[in-house]
Formats: sequence, C-alpha cells, structure tokens
Amino acid sequence: MQTECVECGAELTVPEDVMQGEILPCPECGADLEVITVAPLVVELAPTEMEDWGE
Amino acid sequence: MTGKLLIDVVRCYSPSEQEGPAVAYLVEWMQGHGFQAAIDAAGNAVGWRGPDDAPHTLLLLGHIDTVPGEIPVRVEDGRLYGRGSVDAKGSLCAFAEAVAQAVLPPDLRVIVAGAVEEEIATSRGAHYIRDRYAPDLCIIGEPSGAGRVTLGYKGRLLVDYALERPMVHSSRPEPSVGALGAAFWQAVLAWADQQNAGAGRAFEQIIPRLNGINTTSDGFREALAMTVGFRLPPRLTPDDVLGAISEFAAPDAALHGYSQVRAYQAEKNNALVRGMLAAIRAQGAQPGFVLKGGTSDMNTVGERWSCPIIAYGPGDSDLDHTPHEHLELAEYAQSVATLRHLIEYLNLNGR
Repeated sequence: MQTECVECGAELTVPEDVMQGEILPCPECGADLEVITVAPLVVELAPTEMEDWGE
Repeated sequence: MTGKLLIDVVRCYSPSEQEGPAVAYLVEWMQGHGFQAAIDAAGNAVGWRGPDDAPHTLLLLGHIDTVPGEIPVRVEDGRLYGRGSVDAKGSLCAFAEAVAQAVLPPDLRVIVAGAVEEEIATSRGAHYIRDRYAPDLCIIGEPSGAGRVTLGYKGRLLVDYALERPMVHSSRPEPSVGALGAAFWQAVLAWADQQNAGAGRAFEQIIPRLNGINTTSDGFREALAMTVGFRLPPRLTPDDVLGAISEFAAPDAALHGYSQVRAYQAEKNNALVRGMLAAIRAQGAQPGFVLKGGTSDMNTVGERWSCPIIAYGPGDSDLDHTPHEHLELAEYAQSVATLRHLIEYLNLNGR
C-alpha cells in the first residue's frame, strides 16, 4: 500500500498487514507517522514524546 | 456510579506500611464486581478476571500506598481532594472499574494488583509481584493524564559521602572537611555537565542534586556527612555513576551508594501502545507520549518481564506529594472508558 508522509510529502510504502495505531518512520524525513485507519489508509504525525517530572 | 470506588479508597488513608484497610476495601469491592480477589502474602490487593488458562495475561499494576500527609477528603467543583487521589489511587481504581465493566476477550486474563510500599525504598509489593507473574502486557498505574501514555522513567542513585579528620587550627592551610565536600560536589557537577554534552532532552541527561551537607566537630575531630542524589538516563547505570564519582572523593572518604534503580524506556510499536492510542482517540482526545523524570514500578518490573509495558492513569503528576493533591472526576471517568476500550478491543494476534 502507498501513502504520503504528512510532514514532507515523500511517498511511503506501507506493509499489507499494517495495523491501526502502528508507528512508521518516514524514510525521507524520519518523522514518526501513526496509522489512524487502515481502510482507508490514513496516517498522521505520531504523538511526540513530552517530558515531565515526577512519577 | 463511576468514582464512588475512588472516593471510598481515598478515604482509607494508607501511607506506606499502613495499607491494610485500603487493601481490604479494594479486595472486597473486586469480589463484589466479578473478580476473584485476595490479599497476597506481601499484603497486596490482587483481583483477576478471565480464564486461568487464557493464552494472554494483561497485568494492571498500581499501588495502594501513598506518601504521608493526610488531606481532608472532599469533592469540590468536580475535583476529588485527598492524599493519593492522583498518586496513584486514581490509576488503581480506574484499573479496577474498567476491568469490572469490560467484556473481556475470551483469550485474555486480566489481573489488577494494588501493590504496597511503592512510595518507600523497599517496593515490597512490586518485588513480590515481579517474582510471581510473567504477563504478556503490563500497565503501571501512575498519573500520565487520561490522554497520554508514559513510556519511560529515569533511574536513580543516592550516595552518602562521609569524611572524618583530626581537628587542626583554622589558621593552617589544610582544607576543612566542609571544603573537601564542596570540592567533591563541584567535581560531580563538572562531570555531569561533561556527560550531558549533546544530550538534548532531560530524559537523556544525568541530573545531580545535593540533598544534604552537614559538618560537625567534637573538638578533636571534624566530620562531614553529605548526600547526593542522581536521576539517571538509560545509558548510565548506578554502578557506572558510583564508579566515576569515586574518582573525585578524598582518599580517606567513605562513599555508600543505595536506592539504586536503572532507567527504563519502553517500546512504542506493540499491541499495547497501538491499543492505547486507539482507545484514547475513541474518547475524542489527542494522544501523547511522555517520559518521566521520576521512578515507578516500571523500573522494578520492566527489565524482568521484557513485555510491552506502559504507565497510564488520570491526573497531573505535578500534584504528586503536594498538599494540593486532587483529581478531576471527569478525567477519572475518561480514563476508565479508555482502559475499558483498550481491554475490549485489544488485538493480541498481530505483531
């Protein structure tokens, strides 16, 4: 399956058995992309890692 | 009513080593809500649902003890005030309520554990559980916020530095034990700065803290007692740090390292994280990941179990251990719904 990186527009080849919630790195810009839905295939930028003090 | 369990458990004030009444209450509640439940040999509250021979086990590991300091329990403007409301009875009770409400997949067994003594160095409850279970998936109960998933905790090391020397006249050039202690601390800071060169985010940095320094004299000898704490990134073990800083100590000083915990950072491409992202979105929220500067039971069990693991729970961890500790009950309900969705739609057959 094919889609585009939402960050840089590069073409992205996605495995046929891709799953909802899977995180795929863009081979061009390195952005982490989250698979929001599989059919239709929709990707968004994955959540970024924030930092917090405490537990 | 979602929230009654939490209010009742927060009312059972339970600082570490005084968890008995809260544990008994939670076990009885679980027994009345479709769980099998018991108090284990460590004093933990443990309840489980699903077949004993299920091929998959999800362990929801919260803690039922709190730091000391009783806060009058009250609900004001939709907020529950009380010690432990955020850290971390909110998470633990959300686990219990979600599992009680969920229609479990037939191939899944879910265990809810309320561990004792998480807030003190023994971590007795989590150590007992770590040695007796081997789950396929684990969620640690700590406040991440209902829309966020915690992926890692830093490590920790405490070091006592002790030095004792004969008294000399203060006009002599030899440094005092206090000056030697200060020099040790400055060397530690310089070494930490060197280690942190190029480490962008706080999670990747070693953060030293001078917890205490005291000098005494009986007229014949002078003594220094100093305690230094470290928060550690994944790349540095407590032994690494202890070995490095021992180079800066005076030759006749005594260094004692304790409370040693390695950092733990979980993977985010697995069934558990995928399920959580979908479950958070299903409640209309935008998911986020977070890395924490403190420690939790993830540090205790993560390496041993080597399974998909996260920490999750409602609340703002900035309120941990504060006199203002409170939890929004609407956020608590959101976290219960999120966890229920996770359990009901968990896809264990993929990667």
